[in-house]
Amino acid sequence: MVENRPFLTFLTHAVLIIGVIFLCFPVWMALVASTHGPEALSRSPIPLWFGDRAWENYSQLLAGGLPEAGGVPIGRMMFNSAIMALVITFGKIAISLISAYAIVYFRFPFRMGFFWMIFITLMLPVEVRILPTFDVVTKLGMLNSYVGLTIPLIASATATFLFRQFFLTIPDELVEAARIDRAGPLRFFWDILLPMSRTNIAALFIILFIFGWNQYLWPLLVTTDESLYTVVMGIQRMVNAGEALPVWHYIMGTAVLALIPPVLVVVAMQKLFVKGLVESEK
Amino acid sequence: MATLSIKSLGKTYPGNVTAVQDVDVEIADGEFIVLVGPSGCGKSTILRMIAGLEAITTGDLHIDGERVNDREPGDRNIAMVFQNYALYPHMSVRKNMEYGLKNEGLPKPEIAKRIEEASRTLRLEEYLDRKPRQLSGGQRQRVAMGRAIVRDPKVFLFDEPLSNLDAKLRTQLRAELKALHHRLGATFIYVTHDQVEAMSLADRIIIMNAGRVEQIGTPMDLYLRPATRFVADFIGSPAMNFIEGTVGEDRRSLAINGTQVLNMGQELPARAGAQVAMGMRPEHLGDAGGADIQVSLQVSFVEQLGADTVVHGNLSGGAQPLAVRLHGVHASEPGSEIALGCGMGHVHLFDTATGARLN
Ligand SMILES: Nc1ncnc2c1ncn2[C@@H]1O[C@H](COP(=O)(O)OP(=O)(O)O)[C@@H](O)[C@H]1O
Ligand SMILES: [Mg+2]
Repeated sequence: MVENRPFLTFLTHAVLIIGVIFLCFPVWMALVASTHGPEALSRSPIPLWFGDRAWENYSQLLAGGLPEAGGVPIGRMMFNSAIMALVITFGKIAISLISAYAIVYFRFPFRMGFFWMIFITLMLPVEVRILPTFDVVTKLGMLNSYVGLTIPLIASATATFLFRQFFLTIPDELVEAARIDRAGPLRFFWDILLPMSRTNIAALFIILFIFGWNQYLWPLLVTTDESLYTVVMGIQRMVNAGEALPVWHYIMGTAVLALIPPVLVVVAMQKLFVKGLVESEK
Repeated sequence: MATLSIKSLGKTYPGNVTAVQDVDVEIADGEFIVLVGPSGCGKSTILRMIAGLEAITTGDLHIDGERVNDREPGDRNIAMVFQNYALYPHMSVRKNMEYGLKNEGLPKPEIAKRIEEASRTLRLEEYLDRKPRQLSGGQRQRVAMGRAIVRDPKVFLFDEPLSNLDAKLRTQLRAELKALHHRLGATFIYVTHDQVEAMSLADRIIIMNAGRVEQIGTPMDLYLRPATRFVADFIGSPAMNFIEGTVGEDRRSLAINGTQVLNMGQELPARAGAQVAMGMRPEHLGDAGGADIQVSLQVSFVEQLGADTVVHGNLSGGAQPLAVRLHGVHASEPGSEIALGCGMGHVHLFDTATGARLN
């Protein structure tokens, strides 16, 4: 239903603007808080406008190793988060592309059985299977390593399912034309399926990168070595830094810094994503 | 260029669906063969077995004397053009045509030469760098043909390549296809459900019904001497008129519904009392004067086509539908009657039960 009445236009805009304000307020607060000193934030009317300590706060944060903030340099934590998010993202995309390819294009025994097995895992989020997974990772000696941090999160039923649905929409004739053109299974995958999936890959990249970047529970469990801490864990540790008062200006500053990479990914990928949408067939 | 030999070819799909059975045909080098029949009769299945896209259940397929039943599509030296073009959407026109050649490992200059030639033949030169979605339907289908031509195959296979195009473009591309066949001199096997397309393109037509071959012959064979009632009905537009009845004692009359009797000019090639269907093409009905068979048409509606007029109605005094195609412009009022006649030479007689031709 698309109507064009001034009142409705006004109403929809009002609702949207209220929604945007509602969503953006916490981000705004984090930005504002990161520019004040510690005292300003513990007094009752919390400031709603920028303070004068932005430069000081951020340079101290980036210089790193603040004892009040857990002592781990923020650069290190950002690096760990980036590694974790990127490995999870690339890993998930690669594995799910390959498994969807197998399920859609190859006839092997128990094909549908495998599909349903993958599908059922959709119903078990990380939190539910965390204990057995932790047990396995411990026994494999993968605690306190990037491998342990990333591998268990790579298998992805959601992405496999999405790629399967996309592959099913590709006409059989295209596959047959490729067979006549002497494209073997690997060539077909690389030359035809992969380029045709690029908009889907871009969209998934955004979602999965943010998923990976925001992982909290799992890194908390498998890392005890400070050099492997991620930035999300870092923020949490700063909040719970023992008896001392939480250093809100640093915490909010770290949160703002932690926001930057996902925002960059969205901005960068969105272009590709939209371009892909416009370029896609018909 | 190649000969094809198809021997008792059959296909049963999983779930015991028999799509094709007992197809036998020898195709000569450079022949333009059209497979025609109603939707679902197994035309595509045959073509896809020739291409190697579908496994052959029974029978043998030889290309140039070599048995190719178990060869991969890429190794059969065939090229195929699909109804929905099946172009690679992310590749430019040039890349689409190149792809198979690259996979074959042809040297670059040779690839470039072939693409230049093909795009000249098909007038695609200015579109080489476009993506398929930037082309019209007709252009896309020409690209698909280009992709087939550059491979320089022994056999070209087409599965209803013109069905997605509008009528005018279809006629135009049909002419181009005919010219292309002439120029390449390769063996063409072409699937369509459109009998006009079949008649205008084919050297020989294979007409199919429910997975079996009804008749193989030149377009004029099929038109002049259809082997079965099915073929008689399928070929020709408007379709042939059929009058069903029982052959009289003297074998010179046909009793329709037991009430009306049609008198024949000659003895019928059927025994007395046999149930037959007498077929007469609308264009072969004409002036009643002195004709072997005389019928009267009660007009229900008239199609004015300009060059011709098709008058539809019933056999007077009965419910048997009847149509006649008259030259030029004729005005006939619905409800009026027209006296028509047909020479025995234009009468086709079929057994009602088996559909086999009797004369
Ligand atoms: N993959 C398949 N599995 C089962 N039955 C099929 C399959 N493909 C085609 N058929 C059946 O085989 C018959 C012939 O199909 P097809 O060759 O596509 O007909 P046509 O091209 O003449 O319209 C149809 O009855 C169709 O339902
Ligand atoms: Mg078909």
